[in-house]
Amino acid sequence: MTATLETTVSSTVDAAVELAGIRKVFGHGSSAVVALDGVDLKVKPGEFVCLLGASGCGKSTLLNIVAGLDGATAGELQVNTSRPAVMFQEPALMPWLTAQRNVELALRFAGVGRLARKRRALELLELVRLGDAADKRPHELSGGMRQRVALARALASATVSADGSPALLLMDEPFAALDAITRDVLQSELLRVWETTNTAIIFVTHDVREAVRLGQRVVLLSSRPGRVVREWDVRDSSDEVLAEINTHLREVISGHAS
Amino acid sequence: MATPPDTLDKVGAGLDALDAPVEAHKPPVWRRFLKTGVPPLIAFALLLGVWQALWASALLPEFQLPAPVDVWDELVRSISTGEAFGILWTSLHRAVLGFLAAVLIATPLGLLIAKVRVVRAAIGSLLTGLQSLPSVAWVPAAILWFGVTPSTIYFVVLMGSVPSIANGLVAGIDQIPPLLPRVGRALGAGRLASARHILLPAALPGYLAGLKQGWAFSWRSLMAAEIIATSPQLGTGLGQYLHNGSSLNDINMVIAAIFLILLVGIGIELLLFRPLERAVLRARGLTGAL
Repeated sequence: MTATLETTVSSTVDAAVELAGIRKVFGHGSSAVVALDGVDLKVKPGEFVCLLGASGCGKSTLLNIVAGLDGATAGELQVNTSRPAVMFQEPALMPWLTAQRNVELALRFAGVGRLARKRRALELLELVRLGDAADKRPHELSGGMRQRVALARALASATVSADGSPALLLMDEPFAALDAITRDVLQSELLRVWETTNTAIIFVTHDVREAVRLGQRVVLLSSRPGRVVREWDVRDSSDEVLAEINTHLREVISGHAS
Repeated sequence: MATPPDTLDKVGAGLDALDAPVEAHKPPVWRRFLKTGVPPLIAFALLLGVWQALWASALLPEFQLPAPVDVWDELVRSISTGEAFGILWTSLHRAVLGFLAAVLIATPLGLLIAKVRVVRAAIGSLLTGLQSLPSVAWVPAAILWFGVTPSTIYFVVLMGSVPSIANGLVAGIDQIPPLLPRVGRALGAGRLASARHILLPAALPGYLAGLKQGWAFSWRSLMAAEIIATSPQLGTGLGQYLHNGSSLNDINMVIAAIFLILLVGIGIELLLFRPLERAVLRARGLTGAL
């Protein structure tokens, strides 16, 4: 596992995503709220980065800016991958489409032909172990299965370009609404999928354990305004790192007590 | 990772088996018929019985309350001479054409109102207001504008059904969870692709409710227009047939006409809109109302 990681990290010098001095202000004048203030972040192709922070640190705002769903007030954003795919806390599947059609939708918007669409969708559903559920509609699936369909859809969207440019997956607390056992299974599922697809992932969470378990790197953001406080390399995660990150997160939160 | 991957795979598969919603068992056809088909038949039979009893009590003179058998004879007569089919065809093809035209006008109109703020502010409430205006009110004006011609009839039908259909579509679009169009944008859908693949299908239940109401309004408006605007060049539709019955003081004809009007209304609802609505709601897992 470690060997594959090192090759992917060192193989390309360029960053998959590069943020420099990203600032985001909501509203105008005296009621303006600074959500992000000078965020610098660099994600290498194939890297798994977890953004950690309490409520109001602008994690989701940052993700929306990278996804192109929202514009930054100031700063520079450079995305060197194909269109970033986004996964939200809710699966947000189209309730009138089967699992397979939901995955196909991402390919359809990219102009992929019918047959190729079908083949790729089944392939991706197989990857998240839902090959048998391709014809089921969202209401016939459990919460964990729905989120896996959403993962397959996001992967379809991230890996659609034919030129082989690196893919980027943005995940906004995708497992927060699931029960503990399902979350545990999905976390290992995500790691497996990440290892096989070699996609760069920016994963937003407020759960330190989840961040340390999944990520290669954990980036702690402060709240109101969001700034990068510290970064940890957690590839060889130990309990000390976990405790250290926890302490820092508590400090960031208790700074707002007054 | 402490647990080997194949164990986790098994745990995952087990979770899927445990957590996936269990499909409800479908009752056999005869039982469903017993549940949904028999009650209305009994109600109809009861109604006939009460009617027959009222007639037998002779409280009202025969020209006001006919015997069920006499109305039946009138129906059989008009059907066996082929008159009923001509009348039904005249009215039905007008209603269907008018309804289809209304769909073509109301769909882009509804999309505009739902998605363009200025348009909504300008005519949104007017459209809702039009819905509460009985379309009969347009008949006198339409006769002055178009004379007693098919144009008058189609105009009244359109004024009756366009607001319902457009309003249904607006309501359907307003009720789309905002996350769905966002997902569409994240997946790279343009405005048109988003409308075609996300907005319209997501708004389909509301749109369908609007279509259903729009059909009821166009059928109703058509009857009103046919009753008031009668002329030989318009031919005989159900409304004229009803009007003729009234002019001839023939209560059998009047009741037969009302029966045929109801029959068409219920028939279209049962044969077209009910199955359509059922399929759309079932596909979305909304089976509560069925």
